[in-house]
Amino acid sequence: MDFGLTQPQELLRDSIARFLAQDVGVERVRQVMDSESGRDAAIHGQLGDQGITGLLIDMDLGGSELGMQEAAIAAQEIGRAAAPVNFHSSYVLAPLLIAGADAGERRSALLEGIAEGRTLLTPILDAPIESGRVDGSVLYLPDATWADAFLLEDGGSLHLLDATTPGIDVEPLQTIDDTRRVAEVTFSNVDLGAAENLGGNADSTKRAVHAAQIALAADALGAAQKGLHIAVEYAKERKQFDRIIGSFQAVKHMCAEVLAEVEPVQSLLWHTADVWDDGSDEIDHLAPLLKAHATDVANHAVTMTTQVFGGIGFTHECDMHIFYKRAGYDRQMLGNPTALREEAAAVMYG
Amino acid sequence: MDTSIGSEYDSLREEIRSFLTANEDVAVPAGPGFGGDASQIRERTLEWQKRLFDAGYAGRTIPKRYGGAGHEPDALASLVIEDEFQNAGISLGMENQGTGMFVPTLLHFGREDQKQDLIRPTMRGELIWCQGYSEPGSGSDLASLRTSAVLDGDEYVINGQKIWTSGAREADMMFALIRTEADGGKHGGISYIVLSMDTPGLDVRPLMTMTGDASFNEVFFTDVRVPAMNVVGRPGQGWEVGTYTLRFERNMLGRSSTTENYLAGCVDILRETGLIDSPVYRDRLLKLEGRVQAMKYHQLRLLTDRLKKRDSGAGGLIVKLNSCQLNYDVCALAIDAMAERGVLKRGSKHVRDYGNWQRNYMYALGLIIGGGTAQIQKNIIGERGLGLPREPKPAAA
Repeated sequence: MDFGLTQPQELLRDSIARFLAQDVGVERVRQVMDSESGRDAAIHGQLGDQGITGLLIDMDLGGSELGMQEAAIAAQEIGRAAAPVNFHSSYVLAPLLIAGADAGERRSALLEGIAEGRTLLTPILDAPIESGRVDGSVLYLPDATWADAFLLEDGGSLHLLDATTPGIDVEPLQTIDDTRRVAEVTFSNVDLGAAENLGGNADSTKRAVHAAQIALAADALGAAQKGLHIAVEYAKERKQFDRIIGSFQAVKHMCAEVLAEVEPVQSLLWHTADVWDDGSDEIDHLAPLLKAHATDVANHAVTMTTQVFGGIGFTHECDMHIFYKRAGYDRQMLGNPTALREEAAAVMYG
Repeated sequence: MDTSIGSEYDSLREEIRSFLTANEDVAVPAGPGFGGDASQIRERTLEWQKRLFDAGYAGRTIPKRYGGAGHEPDALASLVIEDEFQNAGISLGMENQGTGMFVPTLLHFGREDQKQDLIRPTMRGELIWCQGYSEPGSGSDLASLRTSAVLDGDEYVINGQKIWTSGAREADMMFALIRTEADGGKHGGISYIVLSMDTPGLDVRPLMTMTGDASFNEVFFTDVRVPAMNVVGRPGQGWEVGTYTLRFERNMLGRSSTTENYLAGCVDILRETGLIDSPVYRDRLLKLEGRVQAMKYHQLRLLTDRLKKRDSGAGGLIVKLNSCQLNYDVCALAIDAMAERGVLKRGSKHVRDYGNWQRNYMYALGLIIGGGTAQIQKNIIGERGLGLPREPKPAAA
């Protein structure tokens, strides 16, 4: 019995946290937030240098061939730092989809590119493909504005379509979370012949989606923990009525309740990542259950910790809203809590 | 991550399974489905407790010289036992003031003769204990207690009053916190004393609780004479001895298998009523499922900390707060699912599971309050877990 992270996993967590604190501080995050495009082009290469993009990629392709536990560790630290990257999509969903593909050489080249942080793909699940043509609009696609290519998934089959292919129109959407952007992509009757067929199968697609859901849950948990941390620091300094506000039970109890809700989520996250790594069927209900629970808890946590700051918590200047919005984005993407609870219920109770 | 328990425990599993089969006739079911005539329940519970202790499943680490099985402390063995009993849906025996709190305290602080006399009968359910801590003026601020004793020869003479004393009428013995050292200060003036409930001068008056049980009592002390030998630890050491016990209480109130049993019972009701197909009930059920699973694995994390002799920090402080609220919320869903039938209580025609759902719903509320209220728990989490400052003392009026 040894429930929790191993020593190498703890070292990995600490090294990722150190890198993010040093190179992806809040000033950089705010620059990206305030920019029109919301793009941080340099971050992918930096994450690549740190080995964070290749955690789930085989060693002979430049990755570190680790598992979901390590990817979840990275996602949680990325959420804690509110780093401007759609880690769940670019470095979990995309590489896992491609890993399940059949096309040998192309598969290797793509994974090598992702591991280096050189290739950025936007996966499109359940793409609008019919009779060999791609036709229609797809919404809320992470990083679609600057992706190198789109990874179209349709019934388990994967097709790689270069972003410069004629007939593709990308329009950025404005999201609450300015640290991560999404776009609408419209395909105007694009011939699938323009795409590369990579093969693939439905099982590995399902596993990849579960992994991305776990990563989003981890991101939300990291954001909630950071929100609690800065709120508690504030409550230890701010004085009103000649008292440190954290000594008021009204404030103290809010923080305590948040901690009591958030702490067990860490354990459920570790367990779920572990089940994913084991390849057990249990993941079919655990991944949606975790994402529903973690993002619900995270959203309640940031709702409370924002209030610890009082009026300043409602300002743009206070960092709290960065984590508030981060949790809000994680909540909605790849299944909201209510939908995911139903998904889990269907597995558990029919 | 290694959540396996190891094949070296396989023989223990086998042993437990044969024990459960061999004792089927007496084994007490866990969860909401056990009830009926109160004296029959009591008799069977006591008999089951004897068998559990004699077989080494209750009080497993108690040394052989006190009648125990004398096993080394082994958190994994405890987990295997809990696991097997839970799978079989069988109770792990009495978790009460005597077995769960008094015995561990006595093992730590008691004199040899006290251990010899009291441990075995307590563990076998032959000596039932109650806890004399709270007083009308000393609830959350327990150390302000005023029931006091003066030494007269080799006896203490105790006067005062205790309240919220669970099971005092059924109990044979009480362990109590009594102020014995007039000049010892708030915490240093207290001693931990054991006494027989037959002692003259003790007056027990039942307090009916909201569950309809008279499980609480007031206990009045009028010139109650107790041998000075009955102190556990040193006179004046009572706060340390008594709060050592409270740690066990905090653990006792947070066993995750209890919650899992209740959630399983709740799913049964949802299936029987067909509400398992209602999106609204499914959503509520899955919300609980998320919390229950999170607490289940949280307990494994705490267990790992214990095995590695590592401080769990804030993680350990949240168990009582979360578990009691979770038990309450699970019972609430089951009661809702019963619709109007949910108003019935024990003894009524048509009542489900002997009225245990309503009883446990209210009992869980009692536990949210008892053993350190939810609000006191939040103070502890905020102060010890998050390092927030204590409430300043009000200026003297």
